[in-house]
Amino acid sequence: MIEFRDFSLTYPTGSRPALREIDLVVPRGQFCAVVGAEGAGKTTLAGVISGVVPHMTGGASKGSARVCGRLLTETPPSELVGEVGLVMQNPFSQLSGARFSLREELAFGLENLGVGRAEMIRRVERVMADLRLTALADLSPYELSGGQQQLLAIGSALVMRPAVMVLDEPTSQLDAVGTGVVFDALETLRAQGVTVVLFEHRMERLARCVDRVLVLDEGRTAADGPPADVLTDPRLADWGVAPLRYTTAARRAVGRGLWEEDRPLPVTLEAAADGFAAALKSARTTGGL
Amino acid sequence: MVLRIDSLVHRYPNGTTALANVSLTVEAGERVAVVGPNGAGKSTLARHLIGIARPTSGTVEVNGRDAAELGIADLARSVGFVFQNPDNQLHAATVAREVGFGPRNLGFSADRRTALTEWALRVTGLTGETDSHPRHLSFSERKRVALASVLAMDTPIIVLDEPTTGQDHRSVALLEELLGDLHKRGKTIIAITHDTDFCAENFDRVVVLAEGYVRWDGPVERWLEGAEDPSESAFEQPQMTRLGQRLGWRTPVVTLDSFLDQLTDHAETGVCPRRPAP
Amino acid sequence: MDISPRSADDSPVHRLNPLTKLVFAVTVTVSAFALTMTWWPLLLFCTAVLPMVIASGTLRKFFPVLLALWVPIALTVYLIQGFFYPETSRVVAEIGPLELKYEGLVFATQTALRIMVLMGGFFLLLLTTHPGALMSAMTQRGMSPKTVYVVSAALQIAPALAGRAQGILHAQQARGLPVKGLRGRIRALVPMAGPLILGALTDVGDRAVAMETRGFGTSRRPTFLTEVSDTSAQRVARTVMGLCALTAVVANVLGVLR
Repeated sequence: MIEFRDFSLTYPTGSRPALREIDLVVPRGQFCAVVGAEGAGKTTLAGVISGVVPHMTGGASKGSARVCGRLLTETPPSELVGEVGLVMQNPFSQLSGARFSLREELAFGLENLGVGRAEMIRRVERVMADLRLTALADLSPYELSGGQQQLLAIGSALVMRPAVMVLDEPTSQLDAVGTGVVFDALETLRAQGVTVVLFEHRMERLARCVDRVLVLDEGRTAADGPPADVLTDPRLADWGVAPLRYTTAARRAVGRGLWEEDRPLPVTLEAAADGFAAALKSARTTGGL
Repeated sequence: MVLRIDSLVHRYPNGTTALANVSLTVEAGERVAVVGPNGAGKSTLARHLIGIARPTSGTVEVNGRDAAELGIADLARSVGFVFQNPDNQLHAATVAREVGFGPRNLGFSADRRTALTEWALRVTGLTGETDSHPRHLSFSERKRVALASVLAMDTPIIVLDEPTTGQDHRSVALLEELLGDLHKRGKTIIAITHDTDFCAENFDRVVVLAEGYVRWDGPVERWLEGAEDPSESAFEQPQMTRLGQRLGWRTPVVTLDSFLDQLTDHAETGVCPRRPAP
Repeated sequence: MDISPRSADDSPVHRLNPLTKLVFAVTVTVSAFALTMTWWPLLLFCTAVLPMVIASGTLRKFFPVLLALWVPIALTVYLIQGFFYPETSRVVAEIGPLELKYEGLVFATQTALRIMVLMGGFFLLLLTTHPGALMSAMTQRGMSPKTVYVVSAALQIAPALAGRAQGILHAQQARGLPVKGLRGRIRALVPMAGPLILGALTDVGDRAVAMETRGFGTSRRPTFLTEVSDTSAQRVARTVMGLCALTAVVANVLGVLR
């Protein structure tokens, strides 16, 4: 679905490449997270997958990048509409600014694509129900709070039913309930065979939900694999990514003999609880430390 | 006390009630995290602390003086407010000038301005960017410039609105270190946040706002002890707290360090850590 | 001030095609200004605008809005025309050096009534028409989607910019920026304008990307969420109204019906 081969990109104003020799294959229906320090190239990668970079920003590329079989460097974003959905960081600037209610704002993209009215209404209502926005349907997009605008921006992309969904920190202004709603929606997408690429700081959600984590460091792929492997990598903090507290706790407990050395470090609550319970049990049977 | 809020009510012109009835006092040097779901009234409450919102009824007192009488400019000497979006304030051509803007407005002497600016840039890790244009910096860095520009005003109270939003690991680590430093200097710190891990590691007291009311106000560990089922609540309890619960511990775990201590105790004594008898 | 209808509001007038109401507003305005009988705009208001307002059930919203805007304008017109009517004229009263002139008062009455018709016609449109419906009706009539986009965005840009400007003002005031007095205002200019302009530019860049990824400006034929119903009766009515407006203009040019 997404296929990068030795892909590098340098912006016109950049002295160094923003992305270097990226090799990445994301199959259909995979839920992939991309993490990394600020400036590691995450936003650029999101832009390339959605066709925005380099078409709207300029920049020279090497290697190839394809989405849905199409060569991204030769496909303007307008031709990817409906295939790739993009949710950017700032929800305010994604509003069309020309629609007077949340419902109309959601329909904006479908109107542009010429989707029939009955189908349009069905999809808009569905997205509003999924993201719990129905009660806000008649409000002006400008009246909404930052969190609500963020849900609206996600809804505006979901409603287009893209084959690939790219989200750049979509829950930064949402509380736990709102974040839960978004992650539920993303898991539903994956179940429907949509490829999801999520750029996110919230590691615990990632560890639970995604199939794969890619770490970017200075434009390069520093690590790539299942969350249980990547998020326990000892170099994670050096790449500017916060390790989960479960992982840090276990790593420090190893030194105290309270985490079995051959047991993998945990990235989820369940794995951490099992590991610590086992360590406590063996501490008891051996008569304390 | 440095801050006293009494029966504060805030209603918007369209009739929506943002704050239904909020009373709160904060002592000098406290570290208070204000948490709550989206739309709970957290930002509105913060706006009252710097005088940019006026109470529908009730009072806000800063250092014993009524905020409504003091006005925004005078309040700026007592309360520094770090807004969520740094781009709403960055206007100067260099980072140093941006950071010096507040002290200049407050009429500080040149020596004091220089000293404060240097200190603020150092503690936010921006010394190397003194002459950079703020707009050429990354979001994390711009957010730190905004923070430095408030620190340089040397206010006894510092209010931060969602300081960890959009911040990567290094910036958050720097912020945590800075908060510890400010605490040692005796500053009163109030943060609005929905990051409960950040809240547990760096704050002593939690104020929960919901639907315009104070739903909880007390020490962070007591809050974690009583916090509702996270699946139903707008909060996700800190990772260490949930881990402690899973292990059947009855004393809530707040920080990573306290988790390791309790873990060691449990292993040594074979007894589940529990709350000491009252 | 938001006077758009809520989704629960409904009446036969609400259900009319927005263009019918737009043509209605234009027709009554043109007729009010074209014919020169002093009483004519009042007749027009009572026989055309008012019945429509009553039928739409928005009378209680209509009059406060109309009066709030019309009364100050009417007073200004009376003051200016009453005292400063250019031609020599019968003096009704003298207040100090000022003379209140009869012709001036007549002219002011006519102008004020004409403005009342204009405002009445357009308020009726706004009170009973969702702006989105008007915009899609315009697009469906063949207006370019880009033009309609500009019109709708312009309608909303003021509140959006005002909100941002307020956020910036608060951020700078909280850093001790004095904004009182002329000097303060001048000093506040750079710290206010800088973030406002740069923020707007960033938004424009992001918005261009968002619009592109949402298919705006593609050559595909757009569809519409807001259904705009139209009937042949309304089409006939719009033609008749257009003819009426035309007749009024012709009458004005020929100088009949004075």
